[in-house]
Amino acid sequence: MTAGDLLVVEDLRRSFGGVHAVDGASFKVQSGSITGLIGPNGAGKSTALGVIAGALRPDAGRIEFDGRDVTALSPMSLARRGLIRTFQTSSEFPRLTVIENLLVAAQHNPGETLRGALLGGRRSWRAHERQLVERARELIAGFEMSDKEDEWAGNLSGGQKRLLEIMRGLMAEPKLLLLDEPMAGVNPTLSRSIEEHLQRLNRDGLTMLMIEHELRVVERLCDRVVVMAQGKVISEGTMDTLRTEQEVLDAYLVG
Amino acid sequence: MSVAWQFYFSTLLIYLAVDVMAVWGLNLQFGVAGISSFAFIVFQAMGAYTASVLTLGPEQGTSFQHYVGGASLPFPLPVIAAGAAGGLLALLVGLVGIRRLRADYQAMVMLVISLTATYVADNSTHLFNGPAGLSLVPKPLFGGLNLSLVNYQWFYVGLCAVFCALIWWFVRRFTESPLGRAMRAVRDNEHAAAALGKNVFGLRMTAFVAGGVIAGISGAVFVEFLGAWSPGSWLYPETFVFFTAILVGGTGNNIGVAVGALLVPIGFLESTRFLPNVGYPGFVDALQWVAVGVMALIFLWFWPRGVIPERKRRFPQPGEAPRTIGRRLLRSRG
Repeated sequence: MTAGDLLVVEDLRRSFGGVHAVDGASFKVQSGSITGLIGPNGAGKSTALGVIAGALRPDAGRIEFDGRDVTALSPMSLARRGLIRTFQTSSEFPRLTVIENLLVAAQHNPGETLRGALLGGRRSWRAHERQLVERARELIAGFEMSDKEDEWAGNLSGGQKRLLEIMRGLMAEPKLLLLDEPMAGVNPTLSRSIEEHLQRLNRDGLTMLMIEHELRVVERLCDRVVVMAQGKVISEGTMDTLRTEQEVLDAYLVG
Repeated sequence: MSVAWQFYFSTLLIYLAVDVMAVWGLNLQFGVAGISSFAFIVFQAMGAYTASVLTLGPEQGTSFQHYVGGASLPFPLPVIAAGAAGGLLALLVGLVGIRRLRADYQAMVMLVISLTATYVADNSTHLFNGPAGLSLVPKPLFGGLNLSLVNYQWFYVGLCAVFCALIWWFVRRFTESPLGRAMRAVRDNEHAAAALGKNVFGLRMTAFVAGGVIAGISGAVFVEFLGAWSPGSWLYPETFVFFTAILVGGTGNNIGVAVGALLVPIGFLESTRFLPNVGYPGFVDALQWVAVGVMALIFLWFWPRGVIPERKRRFPQPGEAPRTIGRRLLRSRG
């Protein structure tokens, strides 16, 4: 592993029954990049993401994040190390307001411990909470959703829920954000706006690994692209170089 | 008010206080943390039993009832011990029932535990004295105060109010803190909560045990008043009365569920208790249970957020005065 790699995946394997969903995938995510993970349906992209995020156990292989072996750690410990994922389907906390959805994502909250909640009272966590509220408001304003701050998250539209999920992820101050089709089911205008938000975040130094089907989006956003087919990584590189590779074209045409 | 009416009203108030404490505990488990705690009544019974045996004194050789660990501790030690016992039992049940189980299976395990507990208590005469249970539990401070019976009733109402205030303070420590918010996040979507670094099992267990402590205390306050304990008074349908109270009052809202306790176990069950019986003996009693179940269904279908729904937590804008207790009370939020 070179110094610039935030995530290194080596020979990852995971099967469901007889299906080898991920069958020996290896790739890297460079620090500061937006890396795209593309491939036809059933290529094993979401499974790979699930294994990296700790939601699925790998059958074999090794995952290194931020210089440490994190293979088979739980989603909780991975999140606490700065690896945050979003989900393919809406996964907001519906009976929390928008701003509460963000506040709950903050790490190391003294008010979330039993001691803090029971004994601390005003002094221990209220000041911290005020800072969190301020930070959450800045984030919400950056995504132009300030008027929705006190709305139940469950009442948002599908697109707004995607934005919320990205904001919530950012509130956790991740080192690496895993995005599973962040633009899926979103209208073109909002999709374009999500793109711009992601570019802005990347300029501010956030590393991302994203699954995306729309190749034009990938071309605009991603520095590097990993192509998967049938559980394996068949190519890695920039979109320009990949365009010319016959194997990649075949994978997309054949499915 | 005549003495008879005073007895009646003070007794109702004591029952109300016990039920309010119980629904606050169950609301923490179910309304806040999302655990279908169908064994809730067992924690209350456990607290009640603990308080009984710690008040009754050591078992005498000639005693007509058998129990474990008799002692005569001064009030309020039996109540505190009851809270500890309820919490400890919730810890054990939680380790079996919450860890690694999906929510629907959790519910089944809890229900089975509740049924098993009744059978064990009924049949193990050396532990819990069988179906007869315990009786002649001395009332707290009764001897020392020299009050008339009716005045003692009102004294006990005051005691209940003190316990309610303490439990209110306790549950609000959870529901108004970031800890409670994390619990609500787990309730809404456990996978998303885990993906944000929340300790899902730890948060659930914390709410579950805290609810068990409250259940134990409520059971103790109840049994110290009644002076008797038997397995038959703590059957699983009682859990569903509390659940119905929560659904009717407003899941997740402390004031709402207290109103639910006023409406369902006190308002509904008490007002229908005096209906003349029709049909075979016990027919109207059985119908009461049916009606409670129907009430729960009606609310789930048509009014799922209850009479006083869970409120939104708002955060003061910069420059806005922080909310004082007085302003909060004016807005009467839970």
